[in-house]
Amino acid sequence: MKEQIQEAAARITAGYRLTDEAIGALAETRDILTLGMLADEARRLRHGTDTTFVRVAEVRVPLDDGARLEIPAAAREVRISDRTDSLTTLIPHVRRVVAAADGVPVSAFSLEALEAQAAISGRRLADLLAALRDAGADLIAEAALDQLSHAEHALEQVRKAGLGLARLTVQHTAGTAERLEHIIRARALQQSLGWIESFAPLGRSWPPGAPSTGYEDVRQVALARLLVDNIASIQVDWGRYGPKLAQVALTVGADDVDGVSPVDDTGEGRRRSPLEDIRRNILAAGLVPVERDGARRRVMS
Amino acid sequence: MSIEALAEKARAGARLNEAEALEMYLSAPTPLLGQLADQQRWKRHPDRAVTYIIDRNVNYTNVCVARCSFCAFYRPVGSPEGYVLGFDEIFAKIDETIALGGGQLLLQGGHNPDLPLEWYEDLFRAVKSRYPAFRLHALSPPEVLHLSRLAQTTVPDVVRRLVAAGLDSIPGGGAEILVDRVRKLLHCYSKASADEWIDVMRHAHRAGLRTTATMMYGSVETPAERIEHMGRLRALQDETAGFTAFIAWSYQPEHTLLQGVEATAVEYLRTLATARLFLDNFPNLQASWVTQGAKVGQLSLAYGANDMGSVMIEENVVRAAGAAYCMDEIEIVRNIEDAGFEARRRNMHYDVLGGPVFRERQVPRLLELAVARADGHRSVPAELINYPARSRAERDRRTRT
Ligand code: SF4
Repeated sequence: MKEQIQEAAARITAGYRLTDEAIGALAETRDILTLGMLADEARRLRHGTDTTFVRVAEVRVPLDDGARLEIPAAAREVRISDRTDSLTTLIPHVRRVVAAADGVPVSAFSLEALEAQAAISGRRLADLLAALRDAGADLIAEAALDQLSHAEHALEQVRKAGLGLARLTVQHTAGTAERLEHIIRARALQQSLGWIESFAPLGRSWPPGAPSTGYEDVRQVALARLLVDNIASIQVDWGRYGPKLAQVALTVGADDVDGVSPVDDTGEGRRRSPLEDIRRNILAAGLVPVERDGARRRVMS
Repeated sequence: MSIEALAEKARAGARLNEAEALEMYLSAPTPLLGQLADQQRWKRHPDRAVTYIIDRNVNYTNVCVARCSFCAFYRPVGSPEGYVLGFDEIFAKIDETIALGGGQLLLQGGHNPDLPLEWYEDLFRAVKSRYPAFRLHALSPPEVLHLSRLAQTTVPDVVRRLVAAGLDSIPGGGAEILVDRVRKLLHCYSKASADEWIDVMRHAHRAGLRTTATMMYGSVETPAERIEHMGRLRALQDETAGFTAFIAWSYQPEHTLLQGVEATAVEYLRTLATARLFLDNFPNLQASWVTQGAKVGQLSLAYGANDMGSVMIEENVVRAAGAAYCMDEIEIVRNIEDAGFEARRRNMHYDVLGGPVFRERQVPRLLELAVARADGHRSVPAELINYPARSRAERDRRTRT
């Protein structure tokens, strides 16, 4: 099995396509150490030891009437989420968030929700995106490749509207075949689009009582790095998967950490700085922390 | 020696000295450490089996005079939150454990001055007379030492009396780091120095008991002191061969006096892998999913661990300090099999008892851990009156009631 994995990696490095059989072997391997090591090499070739992270302020809309909107000073991306069922009524709220963000890049909503809303309301997706752009949003927060009805078309509209995409995501994963399909799909999308900067390969939700396992997650991150070699960044979410798995993911191909809180945790009477925590975890993985903002610009500290 | 030369030495199965193990821990790339540990693990356990045990971690009292600075579990003598479990409460926990397919209690608790040696003897006898086949994996070395001080007798005598009452094996708790500089900083030197901890284990092994060994790392020790700790264990194992397993777990800082931060997951995997290379005379290494969570717990199987530890039915100590992961047998088996291994249920001696219980019969699912006692449950067991109270607080309480 080890030889098979190494041979597959050599083919990837040399720019050859893998046979379906070779890809299948990679997707099923239990030799996560060899797989992780190869993915780590691929990641280091591209990014060295630099590991970016972004502190994100989550804002839910609609905002409460009259409530003051305060964006934590440490936020490097403001992410608008929640209801997209009537975007027209939300646009004024997006404007308020953009004003409060005061120059910090603002990302908003998921592309699949916008696509669904366009279908329901009979409006064009392009118009919804344009309205968001005109309200001052910089990016669509996420696009789940397994949830979009017409992924390529929807993503093209994002680009045409002059918006960016914070990251390409996957909503559900169940089973090896589906996981592999997502990776191949991400690669294919980028082949035709060419401008996706970040892919978060771990499923964002899972069936109750059956979360993915550590082996599955490591394999998925490593495979994403090895097979999706046309997207620069492989991302893992700090808040969603927790520091332990996120840190391990950084050693098997991920190079970017999303979802770091901009607010100190003062629970249990003890102050904890997420900034210290993320830096400590990245350093303990033998890597170098680099803060970035939502527009992927490095933040000088 | 270079890392590559050390790796070659490890691959060849030659014993690493402490300086070499430290060098590997500090400088070897994490995947290389994992691969070397994995090789050693396969050499020892070529049959694809990963074991686990169904038992219940019962903390019979949280009242403790030791007051270790890293402990969020204990309550001082006289605290209204202090408790002692009654024999009946312990029997009820055993009944629940048996219903889940378990056959053992891991029984540990605080150093409670109002529980004399006779209380333990009576408890063990009572358990054994009700549940003759049920196992008691009980009383870490500092507790044994505490009892020897309370009863003013020797450690071998305490061990002999406890074995006569029904003790089957001794858990390796209370080791923290077996270096006295560290133990003094953690306020646990007086409960047991490094030599005393080792000595209790030596006596237990000589008395024919099997024990485990633990290491709580990531508090105030240096990496060299972690290796020194493992060195003490390896030396005793060379002498007695009495340890069945080694369990490393990270210090959990929440709610403790010492505070600080928890060591990271990568540090855990590196520590585990180094232990597999250095502790060449320890047959089994447990994954600490209780402190690391299910995912990193499962990944431990690639970094040298061959055992998933216990199906936790109840946990109080680590939870008090912030970690609250829960996996029942179904989850543990799912994780073992997903990693490509075969799940085998074992006892404390690592004898394989069979496959998963839930495949043989229906067992209730355990989606959260039980606690020693429900919140607000403050009753004092009736049988306590049979034992002399040593503390003023307990004497006053008895006078009042
Ligand atoms: S670790 Fe054990 S001995 Fe130390 S204070 Fe806690 S309960 Fe007492």
